[in-house]
Order: sequence, then C-alpha cells, then structure tokens
Amino acid sequence: MEEEKLPDIEQPLSDEIPQFRGIIVILAERLRKLRNVLHNDKFIRSLKIISIILSAAISALAILAFVIYFVPFLKESIPVHETVVTADHELMKDPLYRKEISNTNRDLQRLNRKYTNYTSGQSYVVINTTENRFFLYRNKQLVREGFCSSGSYTMLKTAEGDKKWIFKTPKGKYRIQGKTTHPVWRRPDWAFVEEGLPIPSSNDPSRYEYGVLGDYAMAIGDGYLIHGTIYKRFLGMPVTHGCVRLNDEDLEVIFNTLSVGSKVYIF
Amino acid sequence: MSDQRFIFSDVMGSDSIYKKNGRVAFYVTTGLILAFLIYYAVISTLGPSRKMAELISEFGPKVEEGQKTGERIYADSAYLSLLKEKSWLQAKTLMAQTDSIYLAINLADSTAEIEISGVIVHSAKISNYRISNILQNGDRNVIYSLFSQPLTIQNDVATIKKEPVMIKIAPKDTSEFQPDVIPDTSLVEHVNLILEVSQGLRIYIYQEESDKPAGKGSTFRFDLYDRLYYAWNALRSAVLFRVPEYQPYIKIKIPREDVKIIYRALPRNGQIAVYS
Repeated sequence: MEEEKLPDIEQPLSDEIPQFRGIIVILAERLRKLRNVLHNDKFIRSLKIISIILSAAISALAILAFVIYFVPFLKESIPVHETVVTADHELMKDPLYRKEISNTNRDLQRLNRKYTNYTSGQSYVVINTTENRFFLYRNKQLVREGFCSSGSYTMLKTAEGDKKWIFKTPKGKYRIQGKTTHPVWRRPDWAFVEEGLPIPSSNDPSRYEYGVLGDYAMAIGDGYLIHGTIYKRFLGMPVTHGCVRLNDEDLEVIFNTLSVGSKVYIF
Repeated sequence: MSDQRFIFSDVMGSDSIYKKNGRVAFYVTTGLILAFLIYYAVISTLGPSRKMAELISEFGPKVEEGQKTGERIYADSAYLSLLKEKSWLQAKTLMAQTDSIYLAINLADSTAEIEISGVIVHSAKISNYRISNILQNGDRNVIYSLFSQPLTIQNDVATIKKEPVMIKIAPKDTSEFQPDVIPDTSLVEHVNLILEVSQGLRIYIYQEESDKPAGKGSTFRFDLYDRLYYAWNALRSAVLFRVPEYQPYIKIKIPREDVKIIYRALPRNGQIAVYS
C-alpha cells in the first residue's frame, strides 16, 4: 500500500487558501524570531539601558520645567501685602484728609502745568533714525512726513588703525543753529581717507564741492547738517556720514518752516 | 564542580548586593533631589514677600503710630487715584528736565511712548501685557511712590545690536576704493528685549509678531535663555541658603519695528516711567 504523501509545509493545502496559509507560516516564523530576540540578554540589557536613559532625560526635563516654569509661577501666586481700598464718607469730613487731598491736587496741577510747558507750540522736526523718516510739526500738528537718510553706523579705520571715524547721526534734542542756501560741502579728512586719496591741506580747493548738498542746509551743531542730496534713491536708508539727507521738496518745506532756534528731535 | 558552583553562587550573591546598593542609592538620590526641589520652591516663594517688605521700607508712607486717619487716607480710593496721576507726572517731569530720550509706558492706555523733553516723538501700541503680582496687587501707596521716580536702565539684553556698527578699512589708494554696500532693508530681524532697571525691576519688551514659526521660535528661545539664567542665579543663592533675589517684572508686547526703535533710541542708562 502506497503511503499517502503529506503536503509540504511550504506548499499550499489547496488552491483556495494558499495566501492565508503562507501568511500564518510567515507570522509564526516572525514570532519565533522575536521570542528568541526577547530572550537574548544583550537585547534586554540594551532595552534596560535605553529605558534608564529615557527616564533620566524625562526626569531632567521635569526638574527643569519645575525650576524654570513652575517655581516662577508659584512665586507669582503667593498673595502679597495688598491695599484694601476704601471710600469712607466719614473720612472725607476729616480735616487731615481734606488737607492731604488738597495738597495732592495742588501738586498735580503744578506738575501738569510744568509738563505741558515742555511741549512747545513752535515748529519742530522729529527724525526717526531707525526707520529713516522725518515728521514736521507746526502748532503741535503734523504738517509733513516723509523719508530721509541718516548715519550708516559704518566705522571707517585707516589700514594702520591710527585713525577712525564712526558715521552715526547723534540722538537727542538739538536746535537749528544756522541756515544756508546753496551750501558748499567742505570735505573733511575722512572723505579723502574713505576714497583712498591723500589728505590735502585745510584750504585746498579739492576740499570744496558744489551742488552736492542740495539747495538748503540747516546746521544742528558739531558739524552735523540737515541738507539735500543727489542720491535720492537711497532715501529711507541709513547711508550717510551722520548728516540727515532729505529730498528737495521736503527740504524746502522744512527750511521755510523752521527758523534758527527751532528744535530738532532725533531718536 | 562544587568549587565552580560555590564561585558562581558567590558572584550571584555579590551581584544582588550591588543591585540592592544601587536601588538604595537610587532612592536616596531621588529623595535628595525631591527634598532640594521642595526646599528651592519654598525658599523661592519667600522672595516676593521679602521684596515687598524692602519696597515698603523704602517707599511706604511714614505713618506715626496711633494716627488712624493717616492710615485710612493712604487706603482711600480718591487719594490713591490722585497719587497715581501725581506719580506718573512727577516721573515724566523729572525725565523731561533732561535733554535725554526716555520711555513712558502707560499700561492703562496701552501705549509705550518715546519722549524727548516732554515731546512725544514716537508712540507704540501695547497689544498685550503682564505684570508681577506685587506690582499689580501690592500696596498701592508703595507702588505709586516707587513709580514716582524714573527707573534707570542698568543693563539690557536683546536679540539685536544696539548700534549695528560695520567696520570698514580705508583703501590704501583709489584703485582699492569700493563704494559702500547698500543696506538690505528687506531683512527681518526678530527683536526681543529685556531692560534691567533700578529698584531690581525688569522690563521685558517682546515683539508681538509670533504668527510665523520663526518669530515664535525666536521669542521662545529668548524667553527660555532668560528663564535659565534667572533660575541659575536663584539656584546658586538657594545652595548658599540665601533667599533668591526676586525681580518684579513688566512684560509688554508691541510691534517688532517699535521694539527696535525703542531699543536703539534709548541711551545706555536711559530712563523709564511706568503708569500702571
């Protein structure tokens, strides 16, 4: 009698369930491998080390969060000595109270008057060097605003390092010290150093340049000017050597509005 | 064979001892860390009360003992309202007397203004603000007296340079001359700022733009570094059994450009007035 041949485990039992059988076999094999891996000491140790590192990292983060977030929050939650604000009608009749209120009121009025006096009713110009904008005020009303150019914050150094200049617009309160029409630029030493030219004598004709400062210039002290420019495309950018440049129309309006002594606020 | 078994059992025994010791060390360390954290939390919470006590002793009204009326005046709403206005004006007037640039932060009006000699030269809208508990709820008399003097900047930390100076070496002759590079005005700089001012106060000025991830990330990192720095100093004090210094704060959010303008406009030791 011929022995019945059992089907090979790798071969499908029938054509209807070949895929199902194959998947089970693969899964069983994978599970067996996984069990072997899990029983492997090296793997367990690695897992333990990873879990210890993870726990330590989580604990460290928790401690950090406690110190930098929870403790400051806790500090802000602690009640402090608070004022119980009252409005006692009996107190209002007290002469001491009335005197105190009257004194405070008087101080307040005095301070108010003093502070209001600081705000001048005259014309003044405000220059914002961060945004390179100007604002012209007349009788405390804004009458004109626009772009300007201020100091570039470039520090020019000679190759030897013995001389240096920093090109920034000074900040604070200034006054118009002088007004000029058709100004001539007398080039300082740095203008020659910057271009790699030899420095001429103080009255050398090469020091004088005509028409580069526009039609008007207003001096604000220490050699700084508010003037026009031939580089109009750079208005709104910090490109100057410390002076304030304006376009021709704005310059004319400011020149005609401000007088000698008018305030210039630069920030 | 028996020797081998003995050696093996001995190794196992010492291994379990190590494990036991390790566990004990772990519990002791955890306990110590927890104890220190609790101690740190407790000692840190003493800071605000101590700061308030300091402010009371320096700025508190001097009421003679038994003067009930005096005490009641200093808690009266009408008097406090006048005192608040007076303090604000007093601080601003003191600053206006100089020709310097100063900052006036009005939390009630949500404005931060740069002024020069009483003239408002720039105004920024505060979109959001937070203030320390002791400045918000502390003794009104003391807080208004504290703000009646300008706060002087003693130190600052910012994400941008105060003066963005670029160094240029002069050419040796005309052949080396190169015209200046035109600044790129399209660059976006994230601007956050901390001003450490007198009386141990801190004024945080954050940019309000946090809609883009880069802006949010920049503000988060800036805040994190500050918190770490603050916590480090506090931990050092706690280790030395000293109450960590508490610095009351005012945190405001304004547009990015305004933070830059304020930072670059204020002098190194500029002054600030606060109206809360």
